[in-house]
Amino acid sequence: MRLLQKTNRTYFLISGTVFIIAGVVFYFVISSFFKDQLNEKLFHDIKNITRSIKRDGTLPNYYPFIDIREVPAQSERSFRIIDTLIFNEFEKREILFRQISLIHVINGKEYFIAARDTLIEEDDLLEVIAIVTSSVFIFLLVSLYFINRKLSLKIWQPFYNTLDELKEFSYDRTGFKLSSNSQLYEFTELNKTLEKLTQKVISDYQSLKRFTEDASHEIQTPLAVIQSKLETLMQYPRLKKEQAELINSAYVYTLRISKLTKTLLLLTKIANDQFPEKSTINLSELLDEKIRMFEDHILEKSLTLNKEIKPGYILETNFFMTESMIINLIGNAVKHNITGGMVNIKLDKNYLEISNSGEPLSVSASKLFDRFYKTDKSSDSPGLGLAIVREICRLNKWEINYIYEDNLHKVVLNF
Amino acid sequence: MKILIIEDEKELVGVIKKFLEPEGFLCESAYSYFEAEDSLLSYNYDIIILDLTLPGGNGLDLIKLIKKTNRKAGLLIVSAKNSLDDKIRGLDMGADDYITKPFHLAELNSRIKSLARRRHFDGSNELSFNEIKINTDSNEVFINNNILDLTKKEYEIILYFIVNRNKVITRESIAEHVWGDNISYADNFDFIYSHIRNIRRKIKLNNGRNYIHNMYGLGYKFSER
Repeated sequence: MRLLQKTNRTYFLISGTVFIIAGVVFYFVISSFFKDQLNEKLFHDIKNITRSIKRDGTLPNYYPFIDIREVPAQSERSFRIIDTLIFNEFEKREILFRQISLIHVINGKEYFIAARDTLIEEDDLLEVIAIVTSSVFIFLLVSLYFINRKLSLKIWQPFYNTLDELKEFSYDRTGFKLSSNSQLYEFTELNKTLEKLTQKVISDYQSLKRFTEDASHEIQTPLAVIQSKLETLMQYPRLKKEQAELINSAYVYTLRISKLTKTLLLLTKIANDQFPEKSTINLSELLDEKIRMFEDHILEKSLTLNKEIKPGYILETNFFMTESMIINLIGNAVKHNITGGMVNIKLDKNYLEISNSGEPLSVSASKLFDRFYKTDKSSDSPGLGLAIVREICRLNKWEINYIYEDNLHKVVLNF
Repeated sequence: MKILIIEDEKELVGVIKKFLEPEGFLCESAYSYFEAEDSLLSYNYDIIILDLTLPGGNGLDLIKLIKKTNRKAGLLIVSAKNSLDDKIRGLDMGADDYITKPFHLAELNSRIKSLARRRHFDGSNELSFNEIKINTDSNEVFINNNILDLTKKEYEIILYFIVNRNKVITRESIAEHVWGDNISYADNFDFIYSHIRNIRRKIKLNNGRNYIHNMYGLGYKFSER
């Protein structure tokens, strides 16, 4: 729900309730006020009538407003206020009257004197109050709605600008700054806080990347020492089989770390956009060249290779990154294949599809491009190949997708 | 042949020396930028191994000095940074080759020997081992003067063996030397076995002896026994 909607709804609910209560109160106040006024007037009338009878001795008759009758003596001398319906000749219907009546002794005779006046009819009163309150209510709502809309457009504009800018925020955008400014304290505070936060995120990310890069560098030299010491150890004559096995095992794991740090370094560098040089690349030729690189592996696994490469497809991008990507994709298709399976490589305009046979993934395909994601936990590879590919695609704004179809793992790239 | 190793990691210098000295190289070392300046100003070297990250200065600056004082020396750059920039800049400034840390000693040896051959310090483009001869200009291998019909990869493997004769060479090192970094995609090294099998067969067909010995699980050794 939008803020404007929410405030409008709240305004509507609250003012609706207030107006209903106000209407009811209003009704009671007005009707009791009118009744009091009426009573006062009727008393006044009675006083005047009494005075006039005393003075003139005649009985005025303004039926139905004044009703005077001589009554037998010893009638109950009660003072009464009642509401009564009296038939009106003109309106041809009964109309509600308020009547104040008493028995009064004037000049030794007893009179029944009643003063009446029409009561405001409840229906009419209700109607008037309802019309007045609801029109005020509607007027209020309409003006609130327009005021709110204007406010939300004007006052909240810096907020929406900030929001739009934040949507564009990415942790690797150095020099990110919020441009929107507002005179309002809340928004300037919000922007200040957000700016601090984004700067922190960016600097944390930068230092993390620098850390990965530095750590990888620092690891290379000790690894070089270990690796070369092990290679020296291998040269000793008359090594026993068990000794050779121990050395070999240490050696294989050393190589694995060294491969891992090299790959991590590459990944960091790609993420840092440290390959900005662009050149014209003939992707068709590059693909052919890289496929040749793998021919021994393809032969070893008795794989069938199907190539459908449209010649002369040109890309304008960084050569090193494109090469890494192609090697990773073809390498994966070869490595995660079954003996006697197939590798299909299709290049058409803006479209590259590399597919290979293999069992379906045992786990979610959406994680396939994540770092250190492995389908086979015991695998030697650290699972960075596809993370590198994704990073390269992200930098080049290429779209990459994975699907499993017809027993084939397909990676589809749209340039 | 005199080699200067400019590298701040003494342990690494030690193993490199130990590996190269039996090959007939005379190795000297410089552990810092200043020591390197000293040595370069005082002596002449045939080959210089230069680590780019040095205490006291940038290795790239030393290249200028090397080009002044040791113009004829073959220059091999070593870097812990697997950085394309460094590589391109180093090669632009006149380095002959580039190798990234960590490296296989056999690979380093092969690069140095190739440098030496290219500069004709040996005065020869021919390598030989008993009845086997390799012409590194024409990329041909002869056994008892019969030319061997080898594929490009088989040639590279046998050259790598002969350059690193009498040394244990690991399968990983061979794979990386011949196939490059993409060997990490191999589940196993069967593809190397088949190439080695072919080489052995071709040598045998030409009445050569089998010098390629299996070294337990480690790799191979090219030697008389």
